[in-house]
Amino acid sequence: MTEARPCDNLLKAAFPAIVQDDPVCGESSHFQVPKDLLPAITRYLHTQPNLRGRLTLIWACDHRPVRDTYGLHYLFTLEVSHHWVVLSIELAGNDRLFPSITPHVHAAKWYEREIRDMFGLIPEGHPDLRRLVRHEHWPKGTHPLRKDFPWDRVLGRQQGEHRFRRIEGEGVFEVPVGPIHAGIIESGHFRFSVAGEPIMQLELRHFWKHRGVEKLFEEQTLIGAVPLAERVSGDTTVGHSLAYCQAVEPLLDLQVPRRARYLRSLFLELERLYNHLGDIGAMCNDTAYALAHAHCGRMKERIMQLNDRLTGSRFLRDVLRVGGVTRDIENRQLADLVDELNRIQPDFSEVGAIIFANASLTDRLETTGILNGQTAWDHAVMGVVGRASGMDCDLRRDRPFAAYDELPVNVALYRYGDVRARLRVRGDEIHESIRLIREICSKIPDGPVANELSCSPNPGDWTLSAVEGWRGEILYMVMAGEGGRIHRCKVRDPSFVNWPAIQWAVPGNIIPDFPLINKSFNLSYAGNDL
Amino acid sequence: MFRIIKKSLKIGVVTGQYRRAERSALPVSPEVKDKTKLFKRSLAIREVDTGSCNACEMEMNALLNPVYDAERFGIHIAASPRHADALVVTGPVTVNMERALKDVHKQTPDPKIVIALGDCAITCGMFKNSYAVTGPVERHIPVDIRISGCPPRPAEILEVLSELRKPTV
Ligand code: SF4
Repeated sequence: MTEARPCDNLLKAAFPAIVQDDPVCGESSHFQVPKDLLPAITRYLHTQPNLRGRLTLIWACDHRPVRDTYGLHYLFTLEVSHHWVVLSIELAGNDRLFPSITPHVHAAKWYEREIRDMFGLIPEGHPDLRRLVRHEHWPKGTHPLRKDFPWDRVLGRQQGEHRFRRIEGEGVFEVPVGPIHAGIIESGHFRFSVAGEPIMQLELRHFWKHRGVEKLFEEQTLIGAVPLAERVSGDTTVGHSLAYCQAVEPLLDLQVPRRARYLRSLFLELERLYNHLGDIGAMCNDTAYALAHAHCGRMKERIMQLNDRLTGSRFLRDVLRVGGVTRDIENRQLADLVDELNRIQPDFSEVGAIIFANASLTDRLETTGILNGQTAWDHAVMGVVGRASGMDCDLRRDRPFAAYDELPVNVALYRYGDVRARLRVRGDEIHESIRLIREICSKIPDGPVANELSCSPNPGDWTLSAVEGWRGEILYMVMAGEGGRIHRCKVRDPSFVNWPAIQWAVPGNIIPDFPLINKSFNLSYAGNDL
Repeated sequence: MFRIIKKSLKIGVVTGQYRRAERSALPVSPEVKDKTKLFKRSLAIREVDTGSCNACEMEMNALLNPVYDAERFGIHIAASPRHADALVVTGPVTVNMERALKDVHKQTPDPKIVIALGDCAITCGMFKNSYAVTGPVERHIPVDIRISGCPPRPAEILEVLSELRKPTV
């Protein structure tokens, strides 16, 4: 049993009514909390200077048919120690109300609306109870993640219209954009209120691409759901499948061999590389600097072809499995990989120098789309976007997974929070990834690449896992069901957290700069909408 | 300036540096080719995402990079369906996107062709029968060409698209 930690003692001293439970996964504390105390505890956890808990995830779970209750769980990451604190409440019987924590923990806003849509539980005191995932044409009373809702139900249609927040006044007009956009981008709707050139307000309306991923997980077995996890967000294939595998492995008591852990890190870094290269190019393209776009597109293509040669998939699909990886990479191939990267790195440095020597380009980037540190903290923003706004968090360093406990990572950190800072974070991370891959290739031990399944999971057990994908923290909560199936799987792509924050980076900028700001965030619509 | 020229000279031409498509995708039927006759040697494409995982989009985007450079075949991406000859649809059609897809189809001037890109668009793939998915693209609008794969490689997409533009004999 782990010893009591200072944060546990603080919490227990402040709130004697809470009950400590067994930790759910390494480096975490778990508390059962009385429902009416929840707002006070979360506020304490969020604001107490010694704790400064960042809201990381809220999820709900329908415990039927085992128990007739709903569980709600709140995960906070403490700022300094990166320790996880999970608070759980239960709603028994016909109780459908839970206290909203949004009024003082701003980042809870979308989570609570999502829970209301998916489970029909109502966050009391939430300032905005419009529908989020369910668009207005979904019939009343459809709550897909309830256990009595069949996964393949055919939805009907009702009349309904979304109410946008309106700004009224002379010369104020609205510009709707989407869901289908001008370029090759995913579907989502943006509504700008502008007066003259500058944007006064941006409101998002997403979830056009909601495919019912979390419900589909419940139709899968624990070991069989990796392909689905890979398809949550295609550009984060490795990130999502790795987070999923890491969540399932403790449930099955599976150890991952060391070589496999190294290979997992390798794949994750390759994914980071090609995406960051593509993003830098796309950001340059949105400032009409086609030359840099072409160079970055070329380098990205090189990495994707490299992926194809190594694994047979440009997106590194089918390389991960529960218990390890599906295929070994020979040491000769690893040496070739390092050679190729040794050629790409100076290539990228030269392009980087060209980009930053271009005054008209950097002029567009600087002071555009500023997300300041306080807003970033309030929205619990993470990943590339967070690190550009001074949020010093990177799970590879803070809560090492895969082989990162043996591979120290230098975290890129900028404070200014503008488009340029986000570009710089990506540039630094490209160099860091190449360095890491070199280190992986030199340190990688020999041995097997997968362990076989030996035991079956206990129904009702659950774990959390977190992976630093190229966008940021990817979280999975997996609860085992009967017969090796999944009872509940909560997927959280970093996009879900960072999307609301973009609404605060835009006001004051002009509409033509929005594509650039959006690209600098480059969030996933598919991973957000699920 | 010199740095830029030096870089361009050093890199040279990268177009065409990819592995050719191995399997030839489903042949484009003569009727479809007939339909595309009017487009002559160019093809303006509007991409519509109806719920893909975004890997299919990424491969469409890759077509425009210097390695594949689809524009050399006269293929370009139109910003509005009103300028498009062809719709490329990716992903299973979600409940929320169904209306938008039909609208786009209506707004694309005739003659037009519809290309279903990726397994999701053709059969719904892993998302088949989900409550949030209303069926493959062809349930909602007529589909002329299907490019399978999850996702199809850019070389495979390019193969089909350039096949479309070849004059009929
Ligand atoms: S076909 Fe595959 S790659 Fe394309 S959208 Fe569907 S799951 Fe993603």
